[in-house]
Amino acid sequence: MKALITDIQRFSLSDGDGIRTTVFFKGCNMKCTWCHNPETINAGSELMFYKLKCIGCGKCFETCPNGAHSLENGTHIIDRNKCVNCGKCAEICYAEALVMCGKEMSVDEVVAEVKQDKAYYDESNGGVTLSGGEVLCHKDFAKELTEACHKEGIKVATETNLCFAFDYAKELLEKVDLIMCDLKIFDDNAHMLHTGVSNKTIIENIKKLDSLNIPFIVRTPLIPNATDSMENIESIANFIKGMKNLRRYEILNFNPLGEGKYKGLDRENKFESARPADESSLSNIKSKLDEIGINYKIV
Amino acid sequence: MSEIRLINKFPADEKFTYDKRIKLLRETKIKQTEEKARNGGANEDDYGLIVQDEFDYKLKPNHPNGSIYGYKAWTENYCAILDSHPLYCNPLDAFVGKGFLFLERLRPADKKWNPAYPFDDLQKLFDKYNVISGIDNCHHFTPDLQIGFDLGWGGILAKLKEQRELHDETHYEFYDSEIAVVEAIIRFLNRMADEIKELGDKENNPELKANLYEMSEMNKKIAAAPPETFKEAIQWMCWFSMLSRTYNRGSAGGQLDEMLRPYYERDTEKGILTDDEAVFYLACLFLQDSRYFQLGGPDADGKDMTSKISYLCLDAADKINIACNLTIRVHDNLDEEFFKKSVAYLFKNKQGWPRYSSDTALAEGFMKCGYPLELARKRVAAGCHWMCMPGMEYTMNDTIKINLLKTFEVAYYEMMEDSGEKSVERLWEIYKKHLKIAVDATGNGIMHHLKYQSKTQPELILNLFQHGLIEKGVNITDGGANYYNMCVDGSGIAVVADSFAALQQRIEKEGKISFEELTEHMKNNYEDKDGEYIRQLMQHSERYCGGNTLGDKWAKKVSEVYTSLVRDLNNQHPGINFIPGFFSWSNTLGLGRTVAATPNGRKAYEAINHGANPNGGFRKDGAVSAMCNSIGAIQPGYGNCAPVQLEFDPGIVNDEEGIIKMADMIRTIMNTGNTLLNINIIDANKILEAHKDPFKYPDLVVRVTGFTAFFAMLSPEFRQLVVDRVTSVNGNKIKTEENQ
Repeated sequence: MKALITDIQRFSLSDGDGIRTTVFFKGCNMKCTWCHNPETINAGSELMFYKLKCIGCGKCFETCPNGAHSLENGTHIIDRNKCVNCGKCAEICYAEALVMCGKEMSVDEVVAEVKQDKAYYDESNGGVTLSGGEVLCHKDFAKELTEACHKEGIKVATETNLCFAFDYAKELLEKVDLIMCDLKIFDDNAHMLHTGVSNKTIIENIKKLDSLNIPFIVRTPLIPNATDSMENIESIANFIKGMKNLRRYEILNFNPLGEGKYKGLDRENKFESARPADESSLSNIKSKLDEIGINYKIV
Repeated sequence: MSEIRLINKFPADEKFTYDKRIKLLRETKIKQTEEKARNGGANEDDYGLIVQDEFDYKLKPNHPNGSIYGYKAWTENYCAILDSHPLYCNPLDAFVGKGFLFLERLRPADKKWNPAYPFDDLQKLFDKYNVISGIDNCHHFTPDLQIGFDLGWGGILAKLKEQRELHDETHYEFYDSEIAVVEAIIRFLNRMADEIKELGDKENNPELKANLYEMSEMNKKIAAAPPETFKEAIQWMCWFSMLSRTYNRGSAGGQLDEMLRPYYERDTEKGILTDDEAVFYLACLFLQDSRYFQLGGPDADGKDMTSKISYLCLDAADKINIACNLTIRVHDNLDEEFFKKSVAYLFKNKQGWPRYSSDTALAEGFMKCGYPLELARKRVAAGCHWMCMPGMEYTMNDTIKINLLKTFEVAYYEMMEDSGEKSVERLWEIYKKHLKIAVDATGNGIMHHLKYQSKTQPELILNLFQHGLIEKGVNITDGGANYYNMCVDGSGIAVVADSFAALQQRIEKEGKISFEELTEHMKNNYEDKDGEYIRQLMQHSERYCGGNTLGDKWAKKVSEVYTSLVRDLNNQHPGINFIPGFFSWSNTLGLGRTVAATPNGRKAYEAINHGANPNGGFRKDGAVSAMCNSIGAIQPGYGNCAPVQLEFDPGIVNDEEGIIKMADMIRTIMNTGNTLLNINIIDANKILEAHKDPFKYPDLVVRVTGFTAFFAMLSPEFRQLVVDRVTSVNGNKIKTEENQ
């Protein structure tokens, strides 16, 4: 079995307990307007172009079968209508200005990479984190990978948007050691507007999650004018407060590092000018969460 | 230029707490550092040197070439310096002990080695392979200060005189020189005590006046007698530091907590020392000099040596917070709270201290040389990348560097210029042949150094703190040390491994280019047609520290061969133990400057990799774990180091959970074969600003290689090297248009 993996990031410190390796799957069932991993949204391989790395050798012009590469006013551009993401140009771009995002990998190949850091997981109570994209879009692969990691004595956490039928999701979720699920917006209309889907299934699934007896973390990314209202944070916190397997509520401050990826994909970034919440806003959130009395962490 | 007697700087009614004194002393230190930097700076340790214009010493040569050689000339010059060296005294300080110069550096730089003992044939090989031979280098071994604590200068003098009587005239040169030196030291210390009292007479502030009087009395006492209290022991150490530095930059260090523990316990029991006082005195010790000290670690029986004083050392370093060279020895029984506290300070202060060594890797390795575990555990952190048993061994640690990359270049062009087959396998055979010649020449160089070093520069200070040397009446290089463990470092392993890997991958596995085509591009420094494209092709092949890559396999292969060649020197020179390591110190620029473009895409004369670290861009995620796994796998494994140097953005740790993760990381690195770990925590934007204007952040401290230094003290070229290292890891945090 194979899955399309966009990246395997070792020595990750912010995706769960201890020191971890994060495996990013490609393809997502939601379309969050702020996504800071935009290269993981589409299910197929995609060409990314990092202009600053281009050395101007022109080899891609000669290689592309569809003439997608051209110069416009001295600038190298890609005609995305002509590009079929065949990857031929990326194969000969050693400067890594052109990179194919998404590599088909087998479970064995992923395990071979992640198990190299087993000593770090063992010392720090870390492990592997499945991320995306949306992991549940690759449920069977993720399940097999989790089992293979467990055989190696490696713990597995998964990130998920939980926007699936619970029985389907459960097949993976009951196998992992920690679940990190997102509840981005509590109001369903706003959720629909910003993510393209309703949050009803997610909310129902979070209620059911507690029954699995697996620790879970609920996370809300702090997106300016989308998720960052006090009302939203308060509603989510009140909703999850008291769940017995809830380890904590995590507020993830806005991450602007997706900007380079949007450029690399020639895609519009609707949050280009957005910045992380400042100390005073974070302090207000802390006060509110303290008042609610929920265990939380702001990342 | 710094003032050297800072009296009457405060009103008579000004009051001082210890914290206030530390703050003021630190401010003076930063100001003095700025003066040193403006005076030219240096790419090395801080040494606590003071730049001043009151005292200058003109060398009295005993050779027409303007240099000094042998016992007599070194003795006469050193004694003359001490007899005229002024006092540096800051009444805020608990101690005196600042020096202004190193005698060894007053010699003409190219006339250090005694020309009566030439090594021209060896030099030809050193030039060919760009070997830093270590011949004429000094003091890279560790004295046992306990000898001084037990005997004092007076006791040492008495012992020298007593032993002289028991030896024949062949040893008189040694004894007469050492006796003259120790007499000069006692004379000097007595004069210093008198001068401190005179300052006390002039000081208007009663609190500072009292401190000066107390300081004077203490110095009068320890001029000849052994120190008896915690405070006296540290004052003794400060002077030892100055006296050995003034001679030849001499080493010190040792297990600081254990050295001071008996004094601390005795004084606190007697009620004459509080913890606040102890912290203040330790802070003043760190202020005096950036000596290497070890904290924690196992004693001979494996019991952890962490004690209350270990904690106080960390607290003192935190308070003074300057360039400190403290090493924590990590082992299974290390006090967990102490370890966590050290990690917390590392990330709180972001000054590159402490660093960490691995007892398991170091002890197991050293035991492979035939030493018992008890001795292996006595081998404590004492230098940039090196360990030493204080008072027991002669080492030449960190003075020898074989440029593995230059050796590669010689081999590569030999293959390309003859009519034989062009293949990686054949290149490897030629490389091994040349590496053996370079290593053997280095071994012969070490023997030449041992044979004639006392005719060049006897170790008149450090000899006194070696077990058995006074009894034997010989210089340490003349067979008097208990053990001879000669450190032989290879430099540039990452560039060599990446070059082999790039050739194998791009030429032989993928057929992307031929040896001939590549060589043409290399000769043109990749600046010809398609040159940059080919450079990228070669540079982006499977690199060392990528994680089970071709580069990793080659690095291991190079390490294994290098290790066996160095160990084979033991057969060539029985009685001497040769220990391999991988380190470059701050020679990364100099060693790179001799090598043209290489197959891994490195351009001509660029720096080689630092120590055992990979080349920049070794992995897309720059994973610390991948890097440290690979460095752990190439350790030579005989008790010397191939250190890991990490650069972190301050944002990596924001809370207690982050500290715990870093502590877990450090433990894992130390448990996976690695020997030594240096960590810089530097804001990439801050260091870029400091690079532009070093005086904007005069207190910015970085761990340069093994040592920490004030960033402003480094040359622009060297600052660039540190900046490159930091930005290659934290590049995405730099404020650029692309990253906004």
